[in-house]
Amino acid sequence: MAEELQSMLQLPPSGAAGGEGLTEVSPETTTPEPPSSAAVSPGTEEPAGDTKKKIDILLKAVGDTPIMKTKKWAVERTRTIQGLIDFIKKFLKLVASEQLFIYVNQSFAPSPDQEVGTLYECFGSDGKLVLHYCKSQAWG
Amino acid sequence: MEEDEFIGEKTFQHYCAEFIKHSQQIGDSWEWRPSKDCSDGYMCKIHFQIKNESVMSHPGASTHGQTCLPMEEAFELPSDDCEVIETAAASKVIKYEYHVLYSCSYQVPVLYFRASFLDGRPLTLKDIWEGVHECYKTRLLQGPWDTITQQEHPILGQPFFVLHPCKTNEFMAPILKNSRKINKNVNYITSWLSIVGPVVGLNLPLSYAKATSQAERNSD
Repeated sequence: MAEELQSMLQLPPSGAAGGEGLTEVSPETTTPEPPSSAAVSPGTEEPAGDTKKKIDILLKAVGDTPIMKTKKWAVERTRTIQGLIDFIKKFLKLVASEQLFIYVNQSFAPSPDQEVGTLYECFGSDGKLVLHYCKSQAWG
Repeated sequence: MEEDEFIGEKTFQHYCAEFIKHSQQIGDSWEWRPSKDCSDGYMCKIHFQIKNESVMSHPGASTHGQTCLPMEEAFELPSDDCEVIETAAASKVIKYEYHVLYSCSYQVPVLYFRASFLDGRPLTLKDIWEGVHECYKTRLLQGPWDTITQQEHPILGQPFFVLHPCKTNEFMAPILKNSRKINKNVNYITSWLSIVGPVVGLNLPLSYAKATSQAERNSD
């Protein structure tokens, strides 16, 4: 699973700095041109377009949580929050005792079975879904 | 908005009231139940769930399109004596009761819950642990006594399971700090319940996430 996500959208180095380099990616979503090689990394199964099965997610760290080097990911609509949590935990190399929470609207944790596609429909804007994540020793 | 992560009882009641307002709008059946002398009270929701179907303990789940992803089973069928594959509907339906109370000692909300079959048989702590969502199971089972315990309901005096509140501030703090930073109102109860609920099978519909911002816009 980790490999699959990592083969997806990668920001070019110039955009990776502040994580705010969204403009590099947005041409993929706002123009009808076929995806350029800069926007879509090899390994993506289907071309980007209006009916794409993947949605763009922007991950933002909250609190003391480590910031991911790659913040913008193309994720299948059917991926669940739980799947995303597992991926981020592996990516950040969190230990088992650390819990990771994901929020929409910077305040609400969708249930683990919620699909990101649904979240994108409800909370997405400007062609992406912004999710905040935070690690915590919530229990024990 | 409180300056620190603790909330006073009045604030708790205010957030509950706002939460229930939205619940009524979407038919989510949360209610406020005052205590006998009406000095305090709690939020309550009863909900029925069918066990051992594919939709298991997660009523809020939509589709389970875990296609092509080599991840662990999202829904582990509990190896449970009570699990019946065929008919006998009564033994498959479980009544869950969730109560949100205020803890004066911790100054945070606490989730109390209990579950029973329709014939009145209560679920055991073991049943409850087995019903915990997969993603929390590992952590919870490492130290279940720190997390889900059985206690007497402060108002009803009956045995309930409780999700221990001692770490509540830890996971609420970043949300609250962030909300102050971006100057956005957050309903403490909504945020808190969205985090703790799924641990015990309670999933909040997504519309709650928008309710607070809607309220802000309406009051402008």
